[in-house]
This record gives sequence, C-alpha cells and structure tokens, in this order.
Amino acid sequence: MRVQPLLIQIATGDSRSISKQIVDSIRMKIATGELMPGRQIPSVRGLAQQLRINPNTVAKAYSELTGEGWLESRQGLGLFVAVPRQRLSDEERERRLEEAMSRFINDVIALGYALPEASDRLEAEIEALMPRKRA
Amino acid sequence: MIRLLPSAPEAPVSAPSGAEFVVETIGLTKSYGGKTVLDRLDLRLPRGGIHAIVGANGAGKSTLFRILLGFLGASGGTARLLGRDSRCLTADDRRRVGFVNEEHSLPDWMKVGTVTAMQRRLYPAWNQPVFETVIGSYNVDPGQKVGQLSRGERAGFNLALALAQGPELLILDEPTLGLDVVAKRAFMESLMYSQATEACTIVYCSHQMEEIERLADNLIILERGRLRNMSPPEDFCARVRHFVADVPFKGPDPASVPGLLQVQRIDGLHHYLVLDQGDGFADFLRAAGARNIIDQPVGLDEAVNAILGQHHAAPR
Repeated sequence: MRVQPLLIQIATGDSRSISKQIVDSIRMKIATGELMPGRQIPSVRGLAQQLRINPNTVAKAYSELTGEGWLESRQGLGLFVAVPRQRLSDEERERRLEEAMSRFINDVIALGYALPEASDRLEAEIEALMPRKRA
Repeated sequence: MIRLLPSAPEAPVSAPSGAEFVVETIGLTKSYGGKTVLDRLDLRLPRGGIHAIVGANGAGKSTLFRILLGFLGASGGTARLLGRDSRCLTADDRRRVGFVNEEHSLPDWMKVGTVTAMQRRLYPAWNQPVFETVIGSYNVDPGQKVGQLSRGERAGFNLALALAQGPELLILDEPTLGLDVVAKRAFMESLMYSQATEACTIVYCSHQMEEIERLADNLIILERGRLRNMSPPEDFCARVRHFVADVPFKGPDPASVPGLLQVQRIDGLHHYLVLDQGDGFADFLRAAGARNIIDQPVGLDEAVNAILGQHHAAPR
C-alpha cells in the first residue's frame, strides 16, 4: 500500500493552532475527494518532518480526525482515510452551513454581481466537487 | 555543557532516577543587589516533551538555568534537577543533562576533533552515529579550531556534542539566537527528529514565537521571576481574546476593565486584549455604552506579547 502524498500549508502566527489547521485541511481534502477512502496517509513522524513541526502536534490532529471518523487506524499498518458517513449531528451541520453561508455572502455581496450570475457560479462549483465525493 | 570546571565531588549514592519532575523549584528566589530576578518561583516540569520558556529580557530565564545546573547559588528556596538538589549534583547527574547556551561557549583554542574525543571519553553513553548525523548538517571539519567556526557551526557542534552524550534532559538557552535561516532549520530538525531526543526531555528558552509554535508541547511564561502561565501553547492562546468596541468618550477606567492586558484607541474605537474573559466581557462593554462589539481569537505571538506587555518597562 502506497502512502498518499499530502500537501498541506500551515502558518504560524495564525489564530488557529497548527493542529487545528491540519485537521481543517485534511477534512477539506477528504470532503472534496482529493483524499479517497482507503488511502493511507503519511505517518505522524513523516508529516511532522514535512511541516517541520513537533510530532505530538500531528498526533493530536490525527487523533481528533480519527475520533470524528474521518480517519481509521489499522493495527500495525498506519492510518487510512475512512469510508465516509455523516459525521455531524443535524444541528451541527445546520450551524456550520449557516456560518459558511454568512462568510460567503459577506464576501460576494461586496462584489456587485447580479443574483443569477452569482448563483450559477456557485452551483457549478459545488456540482464540480460533488460527483468526486460519490466515486 | 562543555564546562571545563571541576564537577561536584562524587557522591556515594546514585542519583534518584525516574524522578517525576525533571525540573522542580519551590519558592526559588534570587536577588542581585536590590533587584529580585527570581521571585519565589514554583515550577514543576514533568518528564517528556519539549518545554518552552518565554519571558521578557531579565525575566530570570538564564538565572533559573544557572541555578538549576548548580553554577549559581540561590538567595532562597530550593531547586531540583532530575530529582536532585541543584547544589549537590554529582558527576553522574551532570552526565545525564546536556546544556547548550546562547554563546555556544567552547574552548576557542581547541580543535573540533580534540573536543569531540574529550567528550567521548567523558560520557560513557556517547552515541557516535547521533553525533555524526547532527554534525552532518553543518560544514565542520575535525581539524578546524573551535575559534574558527561561525556562530551557526558552533551551535551545530554544540548541539551534536550535547545530543551524543545521550542526555535525559537537554537544556537550551536561546540556542538559535543569531543563526541564519538554514542553520536554524537544521538545528530545529535535529532537536525534533533525532533519535537521540526521543527519550529526552527538552527545556528551551527563546523569544521566537514561530519556533515555539512549531516546537513546544508546553509553554511556560515567566514574568519578573514569577510563573505567569504553564499550559500547551494553544490553551494559552485560547485564554486571550481581542475585542473591538465603539465605547463612547474615553471608555471605562482601565482599572475597572476585567482581565485587561492591553487597551488601545484607534480611530475612536477601543481595542481590548483581555485574559480569561468569556462572552460576559461583551456585556461589560455594552454596559459601558458600546453598541457595536466584535471579537476574535489571537495568535500565539499576539497573546504572549499582550501578557508580557502588560507590565513591561515603557517610557512614561
């Protein structure tokens, strides 16, 4: 089994901790299908070395992702992307959608696009991601 | 580390190994003249991981290290290193502790190869492959005199010596000060990924928040010789919050603002950095007449700055 390459950007000085930044970007890559279920992800030490951070920080991020069901560990083999299932409660999903929408709308409203154009673009972008998720 | 000083006389008892705390101070006090550098400091660092100590200049970091290593006497209180009173460390205790200071002080007139051979004889647990791996990141030749090495090369040499001795505890006093970006990176990688540090507790002081964010499991903040914080860096960040509010006029008396670390007035808006305040702080601002209030978390650099800036010397 080959390890799936994983490119992540982290920034120091951010208000999100480095561990949170890793959690966020791996979740994003799984949600968009860039990381497919069943693929092996880099070892704790490997990703730590790649990002030049303390291995304990990576271990913390991985354990959060495992706890939330995004990753699964196979004894003696390493960590793998888990088969997706709905991981959040309905309220939490709703809350996150709300939050993401308000961020998006704040940005887009200032650009002055007409509604049909903005919503077409949004639909096209989401559609482009969705099929890969099902694959 | 490479102190060419006579070590303390050999004691018959062997050091208490497996002590729970690698560093333990109780009421540790040190005054120079009229100035108190360490002020009844209580500090307990558990075994394992990387502990970063930050503090303003003169907060007592180097003094703490010097007392812990037995190079300096305290004015009061006790200091223990690996479970042993710092005043009576044995040669064997010293073998278990590596020390790298910011000067990277090594005897200038000796050749690199000679210093290495001497250290190899001094430390029974000497690990040559570790020495070679660490020194391999630096362009150091055994025939060179220590005095001819650049600052970065001396730092690398010093770290290689300290790690090769197989220490249980590694103490680093601003080790990357003045190193170029490449040397700094090599230094940090040796610390985090060398097999020699796997079983080693690292205590490290620095002013460089980026480094600490990447490196530290535990963040210790010293202020005027007292302990101000000890927690994982992200837990500390979560304690500090930045509020912006349109409080009318001069705003509430700073002395009445709960948890205040810093306040600044910019374009008529008040910016507050506060410690350990929840949503109740917004109620406080509303009661002071604010209508628009926003808040956000802060990064490590800003959080540490805010707490150290609170009592930092400043022109009046």
